[in-house]
Amino acid sequence: MKGPDNNTHWWLGVAELVAQGMHHGAVKLKRVHLSIADESFRVLDAIPVTRPGSRLVRVCHHGIARVSYDSVSLAGRVVAEGAASAGARLAMCRQDTTEK
Amino acid sequence: MVSVPSAGRVQQHISAIASGFLGDWLEHRGNPLAVPMTVFADGEALDLKNPQPAAPGSVLCLSIHGLMELESVWDFPAKPDEHYGTHLANRLGDTSALKLRFNTGRPIYRNGQDLAALLERLVTNWPVPVKRLVLIGHSMGGLLIRSACHYGAANDHRWASLNPDCVYIGSPHDGSWLAVGAHKAAGWLNRVPRDYLKVVGEVIDLRSEGIRNLSRGDVFEPGTSDQPLLQSARHYVISGLLAKGEQHPVNVLFGDALVHQSSARGERREGWELAGIANFPGVDHIRLAHHPLVSQQLQEWLS
Repeated sequence: MKGPDNNTHWWLGVAELVAQGMHHGAVKLKRVHLSIADESFRVLDAIPVTRPGSRLVRVCHHGIARVSYDSVSLAGRVVAEGAASAGARLAMCRQDTTEK
Repeated sequence: MVSVPSAGRVQQHISAIASGFLGDWLEHRGNPLAVPMTVFADGEALDLKNPQPAAPGSVLCLSIHGLMELESVWDFPAKPDEHYGTHLANRLGDTSALKLRFNTGRPIYRNGQDLAALLERLVTNWPVPVKRLVLIGHSMGGLLIRSACHYGAANDHRWASLNPDCVYIGSPHDGSWLAVGAHKAAGWLNRVPRDYLKVVGEVIDLRSEGIRNLSRGDVFEPGTSDQPLLQSARHYVISGLLAKGEQHPVNVLFGDALVHQSSARGERREGWELAGIANFPGVDHIRLAHHPLVSQQLQEWLS
């Protein structure tokens, strides 16, 4: 019987790496996005005329941004774990085939 | 011979680069991109339990690549079957030219421990009695040799008593300016009270333990004091420089592009007795691994 293809295993490794990058990258990008946006919101918050409006916009902006980035991060994590477990199963299959 | 993974050349390079950046994490996750430590003879992976090279010699010449590289870094341009090992084999006779491939992102001391054990298995199981061992390391590969020598001697390995010849080519014994720069930049960015700058510092901090070790040339387990060079071995150092004039400002700033001449010579290390020192102005870091002048120098020293 022909053993599982090494190439599939390798691509599962790439998928895990890219998806982990997506998971962690989205979290880091969220922090960059929110902290840069806060620089502008701090200025608007210091001006009495713009303060009430900017606070409302800040809450909406940060809320939407968090939901968006967290969704991407979660999707990345799910794909990464899926690829890792598929890779582990494939490696076990290969080990079984080699032992037989 | 064992089967080589079916991954193509590009895939092997991607694995080598990924291993260099994140090798310790890849290994921890069991990711297949983590490059396993493998010895090659004539492009074929050797089974260390029963190595069967085409023509086993009593002299082993093992070439060890550097960070994010593959064993192909040793091949002369347009002459893929020629490298320092084959040149030496032609000169010495009865010599097997071998190459090592390994996960360059792992801590150097762990690769050194594994290399020491691998050399012991190789020498023990080699089809003919091994009389001489030549270890040639490029960049991080040289640090690996120093580490393996320490652990080989500490574990009374047979190969360590063969009085090996150790050649360090462009190896950052005192650290690489680029790795030091990354370490300092990450430290500074992590202290800045701005989240968007901290994130940049954290991304730099993602670098592997192998890269971190290059900032100070750490080759021993943490907590171990600096160890001398293996006394029974002969040690040779080769360095390169970007510009042809030795005192050129570019050389003073960047050395061979990644390693300064002083670091390649381990000038901050105490009690080093070197059997040979050579410098090649105009030969950069990567070309040091496959340059005719370096090959000539190696043959002069080792034959």
